Amino acid sequence: MESSGGSEFDYLFKLLMIGDSGVGKSSLLLSFTSDTFEDLSPTIGVDFKVKHVTIGGKKLKLAIWDTAGQERFRTLTSSYYRGAQGIIMVYDVTRRETFTNLSDIWAKEIDLYSTNQDCIKMLVGNKVDKESERVVTKKEGIDFAREYGCLFIECSAKTRVNVEHCFEELVLKILDTPSLTAEGSTTVKKSNIFNQKPPVSDASTSGCC
Amino acid sequence: MDSKKIGKFFDSIGDFFTGADSIPWCESDIVLGCEREVIAAEKDSSEEFKSECRLRLSWALVHSKRPEDVQRGIAMLEAALPSTSDPLQMREKMYLLAVGYFRSGDYSRSRQLADRCLEIAPDWRQAITLKKSIEDRIKKDGVIGIGIAATALGAVGLVAGGLAAALSRKK
Ligand SMILES: Nc1nc2c(ncn2[C@@H]2O[C@H](COP(=O)(O)OP(=O)(O)OP(=O)(O)O)[C@@H](O)[C@H]2O)c(=O)[nH]1
Ligand SMILES: [Mg+2]
Repeated sequence: MESSGGSEFDYLFKLLMIGDSGVGKSSLLLSFTSDTFEDLSPTIGVDFKVKHVTIGGKKLKLAIWDTAGQERFRTLTSSYYRGAQGIIMVYDVTRRETFTNLSDIWAKEIDLYSTNQDCIKMLVGNKVDKESERVVTKKEGIDFAREYGCLFIECSAKTRVNVEHCFEELVLKILDTPSLTAEGSTTVKKSNIFNQKPPVSDASTSGCC
Repeated sequence: MDSKKIGKFFDSIGDFFTGADSIPWCESDIVLGCEREVIAAEKDSSEEFKSECRLRLSWALVHSKRPEDVQRGIAMLEAALPSTSDPLQMREKMYLLAVGYFRSGDYSRSRQLADRCLEIAPDWRQAITLKKSIEDRIKKDGVIGIGIAATALGAVGLVAGGLAAALSRKK
């Protein structure tokens, strides 16, 4: 995956990050968008980052929505599921309840609030750098992902292992899903008119010489 | 490839082109949903639940695309702040008020509050992002605090000034 700048892009994808408070959603996002890791305060409401990348030969603008895991924000954060092409469900491999809450809370939230039927889900087990404190095995993650039909990866926002990989896999799968990339799908658009296919009348003038 | 450098570089390009790309927006139907919650909660809910509903509404208002919503959010937060004693709630409301001032173009007040948030919690990413957005905007506009709504906010600004002073005294 390459970072790419500028205002031109082939697709704009909306990605959403959900999961219990403290599992490291904001840390993963920060690790992905600016290559840094530090202690963070809990997110208030919803946070938002944009990153331009080139994946699978396509220039992409990723709008990544990072929701607060705290329950008191839940009715607010649930409004941000709509239109997402990708949803990243994060748990902390050192805290069992963050894993069990995936089926108790987060998968249900997706069923209730996601508007894209084909939206790609990805299960992410974070904090694998704390291997000695791990309580959720990789196999449990794989089994959950199989049952819920989502992608799966284990990573660490701290060491950045698998962080890029996580977003890359998710985006590749979205690119691979025609209904999510179809022209006319609400969030797929070109950034400026110069990017768009020239109208027919212009095409004839450019065909000279 | 030095991905670190490249990441930073494109970060700044992103900010340069969009400016508004760093703080989320809130659609008006979300505002409406929060509003209904607050009204429903007024009847027979615990104080705690009521204040949670109000916090969500003020979040929605100051992030709204409609200027009148932002103004209402600011007024709501200013009214709520003096009676807020819990330090965590206080800094959340200060942050949201700073977002409201930012969105309404009152950059100097916004920066004051964002600075105060960062004094309390230097690692607060959202406040750092907000401060950066404020500074970018100030640089772009050339003058501190000149925004469309700045004059309308004069009176409101006085209140916030007093508030900031009161807060600093508390420290
Ligand atoms: N060791 C280790 N710590 C991590 C990792 N990711 C996050 N943390 C720490 O976990 C704490 C919570 O991280 P956040 O990114 O704020 O969690 P969050 O999911 O965004 O929490 P909310 O915003 O409340 O929903 C922070 O102190 C991070 O430093 C990781 O991969 N390894
Ligand atoms: Mg967070």
